[in-house]
Amino acid sequence: MSAAAKHSQAMFFRARAGEKVTNPVLQRALKKAKPLFVGKRAKGVAALAEDGLDFEALRSTAENIRNRVLADLDVWLEIFEERATARGAEVLWARDGEEASRLVVEIAQRHGVTKATKSKSMLSEEAHLNAALEAAGVRPVETDLGEYIVQLAGEAPSHIIAPAVHKTIEEIEALFAKEHGRPAVPRTSDDIPAMTREAREVLRQHFLTAEMGITGANFLIAETGTAALVTNEGNGRMVTTLPRIHVVVTGIEKILPTLEDFATLMRVLPRSATGQSISNYVSLLTGTRAPAETEGPEKTIFILVDNGRAKLLGSAYQDMLRCIRCGACMNHCPVYFSLGGHAYGWVYPGPMGSVLTPLYTGIENALDLPHASTGCNQCGSVCPVRIPLPKLMHRLREDQLELGLRPQRERWAFRLWGWLARQPRLYRWLVRRAAGYLRWLADDSGRIRILGLAPGWTVGRDLPAPAGKTFHELYAARKRH
Amino acid sequence: MRVALYVTCLVDLMRPSIGFATLRLLETAGCDVVVPSGQTCCGQPAWSAGNRAVAIDLAKKAIAELEGFEAVVIPSGSCADQIRTVYPQLLADDPAWADRARQVAERAWELTQFLADVLKVDAVPGTFAGSVTYHDSCKGLRSLGIKQQPRRLLQQVRGLSLAEMSECEECCGFGGAFSVKFGDVSTRIVDRKCESIAAAQADAVVGGDLGCLLNIEGRLRRRGDETTRVLHVAEVLAGGSGE
Repeated sequence: MSAAAKHSQAMFFRARAGEKVTNPVLQRALKKAKPLFVGKRAKGVAALAEDGLDFEALRSTAENIRNRVLADLDVWLEIFEERATARGAEVLWARDGEEASRLVVEIAQRHGVTKATKSKSMLSEEAHLNAALEAAGVRPVETDLGEYIVQLAGEAPSHIIAPAVHKTIEEIEALFAKEHGRPAVPRTSDDIPAMTREAREVLRQHFLTAEMGITGANFLIAETGTAALVTNEGNGRMVTTLPRIHVVVTGIEKILPTLEDFATLMRVLPRSATGQSISNYVSLLTGTRAPAETEGPEKTIFILVDNGRAKLLGSAYQDMLRCIRCGACMNHCPVYFSLGGHAYGWVYPGPMGSVLTPLYTGIENALDLPHASTGCNQCGSVCPVRIPLPKLMHRLREDQLELGLRPQRERWAFRLWGWLARQPRLYRWLVRRAAGYLRWLADDSGRIRILGLAPGWTVGRDLPAPAGKTFHELYAARKRH
Repeated sequence: MRVALYVTCLVDLMRPSIGFATLRLLETAGCDVVVPSGQTCCGQPAWSAGNRAVAIDLAKKAIAELEGFEAVVIPSGSCADQIRTVYPQLLADDPAWADRARQVAERAWELTQFLADVLKVDAVPGTFAGSVTYHDSCKGLRSLGIKQQPRRLLQQVRGLSLAEMSECEECCGFGGAFSVKFGDVSTRIVDRKCESIAAAQADAVVGGDLGCLLNIEGRLRRRGDETTRVLHVAEVLAGGSGE
């Protein structure tokens, strides 16, 4: 079992999904969030059209840029390493999450770090970096507000850009009261500014005392050796400029060739994520503090992590590496918004997670996820880099079958059904029997309340019973007359 | 025009009236309609489950019985999509079948697409006293681009008024086997659809895919809504035979 698979709970998807759909607090939080996400993106895209720009054309351009990177990823990575090194940064490579964590811990120990502030890194979730740091006596402090909340609660993020979206404001108020102590001036749970101020005050102390800052990167720009960070809260700047050491932990696929390409991607990323034309902060971090400069880290270290990415290159799943982590796929997913992110069991939820989790943690360790989709393609139609997510989930279903990971009886059932469907006379006879049987199951109002053959259907629905005779039966009778 | 009617297995089993309504619409529009007698299933359930081999077998069977017609008409967006979009992909690398698959695909139409875009009908036989709200099914909408066609046709139904629901393009949660494999999740999704339908205050919810309609009707009734009718677009357009 791979290191990543050890931490995955994806095999419990079905059971967890059952708990999540009946959790009223979670459902309340999700119900509130969905229209916000969908509405903001729609507005952002519409505003672009008012400026005479075609979002669909931008999506295609963004897709092409990402494809160009993936076609020569090794070359772009080498260019990045060379340029970043020339600007005084150090570039390290990690095969997997464990190696990435080990490298960060070594750096922390070498520099006597006792506290590290963090911002914007889903990869550190892949690597279980916080646990590794704590084990080595380094205190990791998450500083993105949502991420800070889930860290306080001892939970994992449930969304890639809104980590605490599963929590209601009342839950957060209670959590703050417990962890920060009751405020001197009483506040209500509606007073979001007061709560934010409170978190800010707590975090400020950490910003001023941490010796190391750890971030991810939205993009790595090859031509300049730059890490680009797209944020809204301002904490990212504290994390990257105040501590002596800045460590960037990110995936090898995050490369963009040029600043020009970055400008293009920035037209689709914030709009797809939050509907913003641009995020509140866009930071381009290049090299270390120069002798004449007054701010910035003394040491910048990039840890570029593979963790299952390289093996997707040239495979049927390469398209997935285009992903720029905007979250639009989950924001538009009916399944995600019925469950929240935790049900998916690993770092990435929603449609992107249903593809990435089996690919990064092993297809045999996430058997339900590729099936946890209605195939509606709401995700694929909003993806800013046009990743055909339902197609990739479908491909995983095919792979499951080829690898013998589907139940034997399902395989035989399909084989038998496939054979029957090619014997029209026998098939018709069976369909007639089925129609009669379903009619017989129905109550007086013409409804089936419990369907033994497919109990999943009747957990929440009746089945309107058929008329009793099939179309082909009636059509043949009509033609005889 | 010589047209093959492909009724789909769900209509055959669960609601034959949709098949007859489709027949009536096509005949009223002047088509010479044939119901190929060997038709069974397009193979979509196997394909969705990832079973390529069975999907290919059934694709070949369907292509063999559907080629030779000027058009194949299907009262379902998702089955139409299987023939139009998936068949050519499934058989692209098979020199004996690639061309045949493409030709059948080009002539395969979802019902409202065929009526509105190909035949350009400007009158339909149905009458309906009341308001309807239209649910856009996912495959029809996002793969085949069916959006205005059913609405244009419904507006030709005497007495009918259209009351759009909010989020009409949201998935109803059916998803074929998904609705049974993840029955509780599917129920949660269709609940939201039921709320949109209720808010639209229409006399009927209408759609182009029986799978979605069974899902919606099943949930509406379980929730205690005994009055909102759930109808296939063919039934409303044809009138009479759908009742």
